[in-house]
Amino acid sequence: MILEALAEFLTLGELGGVIVNGLAKSALYVMIASGLTLIFGLMGVLNFAHGSLTMVGAYLGGLLMVVTVTGGTAPLARLGLFFVAIVVVFALLTVLGGAIETTIIRPLYDRPPIYQILLTFGLTLVIEELVRIVLGIYDLQPLSDWQAALATKPQFLRESVMLGPVSAGWMSLFQILLGVVTVVGIWTFLTKTRYGLYIRAGSEDAEMASALGIDVRQVFTVVFALGIGLAGAAGTLLMWDPTWGASVPLAAETLLPAFIVVIVGGLGTFRGTVVAALVVGMADAVTTWWFQNAIQFTGLPELVLFLVLVVTLIVRPQGLFGVEEVGGH
Amino acid sequence: MYHTLLNSPVSAETQMLLPTVETMVGVLYFGLFAISFDFISGYTGYLSFGHAVFYGTGAYTVILIANGKLPLLGPGTPFMLSLVVGGLVAVVLAILVGLVSFRLSGVYFAMITLGFAQVLYVFVRGWDYVATNPRDGPAVGPSHAEGFQIGVPGIDQLSLSIGVLTGDEVALLGSVLSGTEVSYYMIGLVVLACYFAMQRVIHSPFGRVLIAIRENEERAIAIGYNTYLYKLGAFAISGFFAAVAGGLFAGFKRSASPENAFYFLVTGDALLASIIGGFGTLAGSLYGHLFDETVREFLSKAGQGGGLLPYLRALLGQKTLDATLVGDTTIGGLIDLLLNGHASLYVGLVFVLFVLYVPDGLLGTLRARVGGTFAEALPERLWGESE
Repeated sequence: MILEALAEFLTLGELGGVIVNGLAKSALYVMIASGLTLIFGLMGVLNFAHGSLTMVGAYLGGLLMVVTVTGGTAPLARLGLFFVAIVVVFALLTVLGGAIETTIIRPLYDRPPIYQILLTFGLTLVIEELVRIVLGIYDLQPLSDWQAALATKPQFLRESVMLGPVSAGWMSLFQILLGVVTVVGIWTFLTKTRYGLYIRAGSEDAEMASALGIDVRQVFTVVFALGIGLAGAAGTLLMWDPTWGASVPLAAETLLPAFIVVIVGGLGTFRGTVVAALVVGMADAVTTWWFQNAIQFTGLPELVLFLVLVVTLIVRPQGLFGVEEVGGH
Repeated sequence: MYHTLLNSPVSAETQMLLPTVETMVGVLYFGLFAISFDFISGYTGYLSFGHAVFYGTGAYTVILIANGKLPLLGPGTPFMLSLVVGGLVAVVLAILVGLVSFRLSGVYFAMITLGFAQVLYVFVRGWDYVATNPRDGPAVGPSHAEGFQIGVPGIDQLSLSIGVLTGDEVALLGSVLSGTEVSYYMIGLVVLACYFAMQRVIHSPFGRVLIAIRENEERAIAIGYNTYLYKLGAFAISGFFAAVAGGLFAGFKRSASPENAFYFLVTGDALLASIIGGFGTLAGSLYGHLFDETVREFLSKAGQGGGLLPYLRALLGQKTLDATLVGDTTIGGLIDLLLNGHASLYVGLVFVLFVLYVPDGLLGTLRARVGGTFAEALPERLWGESE
């Protein structure tokens, strides 16, 4: 039976479908994790509030879409509004991130890094509960997905297209596109702009960078703000995805994969994050296929994500692209 | 004492302020878990973020033994023995996880322990041997209708049953203790014994080495200690007591689920308790959890027992509650909205404030103020300097 399944798995149609799926998942993972990796790489702060802010982004994005889209809006107009929503959410959360950094994270820099982790952990509880209260006011069910937000998705994103023998969902293609845009955007920012240079210098050696006249405090604020903004943008993207959707548990659901991707990739290397997202996304897609077609065990894909994490840390404790020295941070 | 207060003129206020006995039982066993978390994380500085896995192991072992699902151990196995068995299973697990994990440090250590714990969490959630519906978790079957017995092993007269709605009632010195109160004292005895055991270890030369690892691991290695073995040993001990705590939880609640035993947020609660109580002060974790639970119960329990919400409802009266503030929001609605079931908000705020302004936690700050542990400082304060 396993062999039959293997033979079916290796046919062009199935394999192609799995690869498209895997790429789409990788795109989502890279979007969720890139903000985390920026913050982690520069400041050494494992931002526990990242998932909650992704969730806030999903609701904000959903809110913008529900307000602006009516039943008669054309599919392309909806797509346009969606991009507007991403930009607006990104801007809003960047401001929020800057505020968080300057008010409550900044006083902790001279303490052991564990306190920054703890603080963001407390922040998660507060954010999640505030969201619950707001949802309570508007009588939205906080646990299941927010259906009104899902309904703003244009019809064609629910359909698939045949690329040769491979059937690919438009939604997957759309996500892959956005993932590529994100990766290229961040990569350009990090390597081609002066500010990116500061960030890279800061994550190599913050003390040396500040000795050379870079305002490291300010860089920290900007990076934290951008990281939070990316979390929000990722949330907006997840809002339309049928397996995620805007809901309060989204916070924990995205936080753990984001951690895995960042750790597997290696402390704060953006390249590592991209590769790790590809690895994790592919592993996820492959095991999902096997779970649906051959093996009966619930939660197999989730299990695989953590196995990837554990195996990576056993074989290569500093992550795929991490530097040995920084690992003891 | 509790009853006297309840029958006094300030009964309503008492009920509002004091946690119920049911809550206090939870404080005890979860406090033990928080203490065991502090034992490894507070003293060696290694954040064991997957600690819930040991708690869950203890809870599941106890229930599986009670249901006769563990080989070699029948359903008749005494509860005290199954606690120990659960602890030993956790020790084996801790050594396996620790062998790999202690090659890492800092955030990486936290992440790999979290990784292992989540693997087990997902696994348990999908494994239909442990329960007919593994997502909901196992419950104690009808073969144990009367509750588990805690006491001196081998001497039945000294054992008393614990459990929600099932435990023994005891007449003592003219007053009757309800089943839950008996559970409170019996679980308290086990927790106390475990606490003393851990405290003994911390105050031994072994414990000193753990603190040396936290303060400066390189120097500890340079002096000649094999810190890897020390960390592994501490991890195993901590796992043992975490499993005992889980076993007590399962024994009292008579059921467990992946969500309340294995999930990483369970570790998060222990973390809250340790930080609020004082990181690296063993007993502080218990007080931290008591504080945590008190805040939760005071600010957001609807209906049964104490808390601010029922008190306000009774105090203000229906007329005031129905008065509208803005639009169609009534005062009652507002109070409901802010106080009903949103404990995490206040706990989170308290936690953030503690991290920012009280980094030593409750007990740590108090100790710094009196200059030493209470056992040492109190007699000096009361009777002046001795010797």
